[in-house]
Order: sequence, then C-alpha cells, then structure tokens
Amino acid sequence: MLRIIEKRKYAYVFSAILLTISTAALFTWGLNLGIDFKGGTLMEVQFIETENILEEESAFQAPSREEVQNKLASLEIDSLTVQLSENNSILLKYIASNEDLNEDVVAKLNEFDGDLKQLRVDFIGASVSNQLKKSTAWALISAVIGIALYIAWAFRKVSFPIPSWQYGLGAILALTHDIIITLGIFSILGEFFNVEVGIPFIAALLTILGYSVNDTIVVYDRVRENILKSDSRENFENITNRSLNETLARSINTSLTVIVVLLAIILFGGATIKFFAMALLIGVLFGTYSSIFVASALLVSSYKYKLNRLDSE
Amino acid sequence: MSINKKIKLQFILVVILAIFAGLVAYPSTVRSFPTLFNFLEKPQINLGLDLQGGLRLEYKADLSNIDESKKGEALQATQDVIERRINAFGVGEPLVQTAYSGGEQRVTVELPGIENIEEAKSMIKETPFLEFKEEKTEEELAEEMAKMEEIFIPLNEKTEETAREVLVKVQTGEDFSELAKEYSQDPGSKENGGDLDFVKKGVFVPEFDEILFEKDLQNGEVYSELVVTDFGWHIIKKIEERGEGEDREVHTQHILFSKKTPDMIPDLKYKSTELTGKNLENADVVFRNQGLSEPQVQLNFDREGADLFAEITKRNISKTVAIYLDNQIVSAPVVQAEITNGEAVITGNFTTDEAKDLKRKLNEGALPVPITLVSQQSVGASLGKISLEKSLKAGAYGLLLIAIFMIIYYRFFGLIATIALIIYSAMMVSVFKLSGTLSVWPITLTLSGIAGFILSVGMAVDANILIFERIKEEIRNGRSLNGAINEGFIRAWPSIRDGNYSTIITSMILIWMGTGFIKGFAVILIIGVLLSMFTAIVLVKILLQFVAGKWLENRMWLIIRKNK
Repeated sequence: MLRIIEKRKYAYVFSAILLTISTAALFTWGLNLGIDFKGGTLMEVQFIETENILEEESAFQAPSREEVQNKLASLEIDSLTVQLSENNSILLKYIASNEDLNEDVVAKLNEFDGDLKQLRVDFIGASVSNQLKKSTAWALISAVIGIALYIAWAFRKVSFPIPSWQYGLGAILALTHDIIITLGIFSILGEFFNVEVGIPFIAALLTILGYSVNDTIVVYDRVRENILKSDSRENFENITNRSLNETLARSINTSLTVIVVLLAIILFGGATIKFFAMALLIGVLFGTYSSIFVASALLVSSYKYKLNRLDSE
Repeated sequence: MSINKKIKLQFILVVILAIFAGLVAYPSTVRSFPTLFNFLEKPQINLGLDLQGGLRLEYKADLSNIDESKKGEALQATQDVIERRINAFGVGEPLVQTAYSGGEQRVTVELPGIENIEEAKSMIKETPFLEFKEEKTEEELAEEMAKMEEIFIPLNEKTEETAREVLVKVQTGEDFSELAKEYSQDPGSKENGGDLDFVKKGVFVPEFDEILFEKDLQNGEVYSELVVTDFGWHIIKKIEERGEGEDREVHTQHILFSKKTPDMIPDLKYKSTELTGKNLENADVVFRNQGLSEPQVQLNFDREGADLFAEITKRNISKTVAIYLDNQIVSAPVVQAEITNGEAVITGNFTTDEAKDLKRKLNEGALPVPITLVSQQSVGASLGKISLEKSLKAGAYGLLLIAIFMIIYYRFFGLIATIALIIYSAMMVSVFKLSGTLSVWPITLTLSGIAGFILSVGMAVDANILIFERIKEEIRNGRSLNGAINEGFIRAWPSIRDGNYSTIITSMILIWMGTGFIKGFAVILIIGVLLSMFTAIVLVKILLQFVAGKWLENRMWLIIRKNK
C-alpha cells in the first residue's frame, strides 16, 4: 500500500510551487484574450494566381508580411497583426470591428497581384464581446456554487469525523487548484507562443471543473463508504489512505483513457479544437494529480488540525 | 418468469436495440436492400456551420423609434423580411433567429454553405429601409438649429484657421490654382483652379462683389484678407477686367472654405412619422404621361398605412413630406392635398432599370427597423469539411486506443466494455440523426459537439472502469462471479451517479449561458452522459449477466490475474 497521505507534505510543496508560478504568470502577463472576449476582426484571405493561359509558369508570389503591412499602413489600423499561413494565405487581426474598415482592407489587398479569396472574415463588436465576458464569469461562478452545493448534499449523511461541508470545500479547493494551474499554463502559452483564449477555452475550463470534481468525488465516496463500515479503532488517516489505494487503479485508468482520447484529438483533430483539447489535457492531468495527492490529504489535514486544537484546550 | 428467462429477454432487447442503432447510424450495411436503405438513409446529422462551412451574421435591430407595444411585431416582421430575401437567393436551410441579448434586440442569420461572404451580406443589407418623414415645426427646428450651431462653432473655427494658413501660402507665392485644386470647397470652380470667369456686378453676393468692384485690386493681385460671406471664407484673386460702367466685368479666381450651417443638412428639417416600410403592401413602376416621362415607383399601403398616410398628408398640406430609403432622402414632394387612397409615388431621377430594381426590393420587403451588423463569423466549406474529417478521424483513433487499452487491462470485461462502447457510439449517432424527425429539438453537431461526444466516450469508459474495479475487488474478497457482478454494480453506482451529476450540473449551466460553441458542447455532453450511464449500468450489466456462467468461472484468468 502506498503511503500517500503520510507523504502529503511533498504534494503540498509541489502544489504550492505550481500555484505560485501560475498566479505570478497570471498577474504578470494575464491571459491572451482572443477576439471572442476583446472584440475585433480576424480575417483570413488567400492570394490565388490569376489564371493566364498565354503566360507559362509565371512565378506567382504572394506578398510578404512586410508588403502587406506597408500596404495597409495608410488605413492606420489599431494593433494590426499579420501572419502568413499555408497556401499563400494570410491572417489579419485587429482590434477595430467595423464593416467599412473591413471593406477598405479587402480593397487594399486586392491591389496585389492575383485574385483574392476571402476564406474567413470574423468580427465581433464590443457590445457582443463585453456581454460574453459577463456571461462567462457568471457561468463559472454558478458552476462552482452548483457543484459545491451538490457535494455538500451528497455527503450529508457523513458527518463524522469531519463535517460534510468539508468534503464540498475540499473538492472546491482541489478544482480551484486545477483551474488556476491550467490558467497559469495558458498565460505562459499566451505570452510566449501567442496562444489565444477564447470561448472554447472557457468550455474546456468548465469541463475540467466537472471532471476534477468527478475524480475527487470517487475518492471521497470510497472514504465515506469505508468510514461507515470501519471499526472505530482505525483512524481517519488510515481510512483515507486505504481508500486512496483502493481507488488508485481506477483513477489512473480513467485518466489514461481520457488522456488517450485527448491525445488523439490533439494529434489528429483540426486546429480549432487542438488548444481546446490541450486545455482539457492539462486540466485532466492536474485534476487526477490533485484528486489523488491533494483533495483527500486536505481532509486529513483539516481533521488533524481539529484534533490538535482539542488537545491544546 | 425465472431469473434466467428474464435475463435472456433483456439480452434480446439489447440485441434489437444494438441492431436498430447500428442501422440508423450506418445504413450502408444494408445497401443491398434498397427500400430499407433508402428509408434509413433519410435522417441525416444536422451539421453546424463550422463543419459544413457557412456564414453567421448577428445584427442589432434598432427599435428605439418603435412604440413599446409594437416592438415584438416589428422584430418579427424584420425576421420575416430577411427570411424572404434569403429564400429568394436559394440558400439551403438558412436560419434566422431573434434574441434579446445584452440589452439589445439581435437578429442572427445563419447561412450554411455560403462561399461568397460579400455577396451574402449585401443581399441582406440590400433590403431597403423605407421611411416617411415630415417637416418639424418652427419651434422644434429652431431648437435643433441652436443645438447644431453649437456643434458647428468649433468646426468652423478650425476651417477659418486653415483658410488663414492657405492665405499665407498664397501670399508667400505658392501657385494659386494648385492651392485651389487642393483646398477649395467650391465644387463648381475647384477643378479649374478656382476660376470664376468674367462676371458683372450683382452676380455674386454683396460681400464678394465689394472686393471685386469697390476695392482697387491690380490684375493678378490677391486680396490681403479673408472675405467672409454666407458660404464661408474666400481667398480672392483678381485676374483681369474689361468693359466700362454698366458693362464692367471682372475675371477672378477664388478658394472657398465653406462654413457649416444647419441648413446644409436637409435631414435636420425632418422628423420621423410612424409610416415606414412595414405598412407597404406592394410597389410598382409607373410612367406618367403615357411613358414619355421618367419612371416612378408607386407605393400602395395597407389599411393602417393608408390611414397614417392620410393623416400625414392632411397635417402637412403645402409642406414637404420626405421619402427616405436606407436613411437617404430620395424625394421630398410638396403635399397638394390629403391623400386617402393609400397610394404614394416616389419620383427620384430613376432610370427604368433603377425603378424596377427598387420595386423588386420593396416588394421583397422593406425592413421595418434599421439593422447594423455587430458580429460575423465565417467558415469556408472546404475548411469545414476538413475539420469534420479530422475530428471523426480523431474520434475513431480515440475509440480504437480505448478498446485496445480496455481489452489488455480488463481482458474479458474489456471486450464487453468495447462492445458496449460501440453500441453507445451507434446510439449517439442515431440520436443526432433522429432528433430532427422524432423531436422538436434537432441537435446540431458542431466541432465543439464532436469534442463533447469524444469526451463522453471517455466518461462512459470511466463508469465501466469503476464497475470492473469493484467487481474484481469483490472477487478477491471471495465472492462468486455472479455475486461479484451484482455487488460491483451496486457499489459503483454512487460514485458514477455523483460524478455524472456534477457533469450534468456544469453542462446545464453551460446551456443556460447559451453561446453557440459552448451550447453545442454542453448539449451533447449531457446526452452523452445520460446515454453512457444507461450503457454502463444497464447494457453492460445485461451483457455480463447473460454471458457469465460456468464456462467463465472455470476460466477466471479471463477476468483477473490468478496469483493475487
């Protein structure tokens, strides 16, 4: 049997380091918000060689990044970024979101050689993105509250040796831990790899929330079950450690299946869901870690703290 | 019924369910039976815009000028008009929805399979917004003018400053004609360098004439100061003169910096009436004077419109009523008499084609309220197809990897779980396909939905793992195989339940939050979680109970490592 609970100090230190780094990253760089939340325009256009039967193999060249930037300079677009991508297409991003400007941009780009094909023109007005931000915040808060209430209710019959609300609190702490680390990693990815955070990322966060709680609950369930049938001589620390060991195979196997699926999405899925899956992967990894090494340990720490206080009185 | 018989019956039901789901999900298996194949092939998965390509537009509807009681009606009418217009262009299964969001009324338009973004947008925007406006009363106008005057003061100060700067340039010898071309705001003379040709006294306004005829300018001399008239600020240069006395004519050049006054904005004169395109019954092209004159567009109002028009014309006799199309004034005829027959005529300077085009657009429907685009998302059809293929591939590989893992680790149980997983996938696909025909809530499969689906596969497996681990534990504790199976399901249930309920709670919140991408994900995750619970708890149990027997008890290595 692994002495997971006994060695909880190491897990606490490890988590504390990760949480510190993540929080520091979030405060320093914040998140690299996409146009979903910031409002703005995302335009992808492709330059296609004009078909010319008379000329043979004219070396068609799509304009370079500098050429595009110079061409658009006169429009004085706020925080414009130009990215070249495959098949002679370019990706433009800018803060402004108004139709007239978009038309001007297309007109300018049309001055280059070749035909212009608009693959994608997305724009989100400030009113839409602001409202999205608000409803997202609400969704996250309500999800956390909803889950906490559910756990407190599900464990209402277990009030010894620690009160049932502490299970709810433990699960919430564990999932907050997972969410903060995921956010921290994406803050770093955003700063150094320009990975943007949009609506898909929020969906991933919410899924992590559900998953992390799910994982923690399975262990707590086992603790609950073992408390109810154990004899009074076995102490809480042992019960918890035994429960963890009994559910260990399940925790790891479940995570493995989910991780396998997510890896399949990351490797074979399209670009749009790649970062979505990556966020889920990070969340699931830390969700598994926290449900094994942190969530139950917290229950024991809380129990010991109570004992110490009783002793000293 | 004996327990054995009951299990057999349940097993048969599972087989029927599996076959049914399999056929709906993958009809090609019965391609050799055309009638069955054709029947099964009809229900198709409703793909979202991100998978089949298309355009999503979100408009803000400006209802500020609509009576509170009529807002719903106006919004509905707007939706109808946009639908008619899109249908006229033949887009497959377009979707037009209205929603109240962020304190605004929004109209969302989804156009699947649209390749040309600009064309699609213009076909919606093209719909003219027709409006009738009447003159403001004297007091209203005076008030408005005063307000505008204030806005114009700083603008005009700036113009005057520019004028002074240009005057300095002229005086320092820069070319007058060139400067006129660059700066002059007199459309009549700007292009030819501000040249005004020879004029007699009295042609221009007095302030201008005074410089030409009273001041003693030399030929080629520029008057040393700015000259202020009602039009604005002028820089005047005398070129030459001819004639004497009454016939005296002066040839000049000037640069005009025009002054902004409220008179320049005709819109200011008019205020909205309740009569708009919503009251239009139909429009037609007519020619006055037996087709000799220019074409006109005749409007016929509905009953309410006719009454409104009668009222408007009655209270505006010998005043103008302006007809606006898309916020541009097209004509402002003087009302001769009250018009009660519900007919109005637009006389813009139309060509026949323009008149016919306007008639067509008006008949397809004028928007009752103005709309502005607030968000747009587009996915190329090929891009959507690639996404779909890639996601399906990812899903297939994921399923395969899970199957391999489960069979290696859980052996016989893993095989059962894999079979259950395949049935589960077939049931999910069937639900997607049949949701449109069997219920009023067709499920649209989006990219995020596929992600939700794949994730739900992982969760379905989790339930199986929980159960199998429990069964193995019970066997190790010395229970019989059948006893262990029963006990395993009972014991694993609370964990499965609590875990899945928390997922359902989060999904519900996601649906309630209601943004497209997230909603697609959450709806499918909920369906997936419910179906996976059914699969894990009911299907797998029936399968296990049916196949578990003496033969399996004698081969326990199929379930669990012997040397435990």
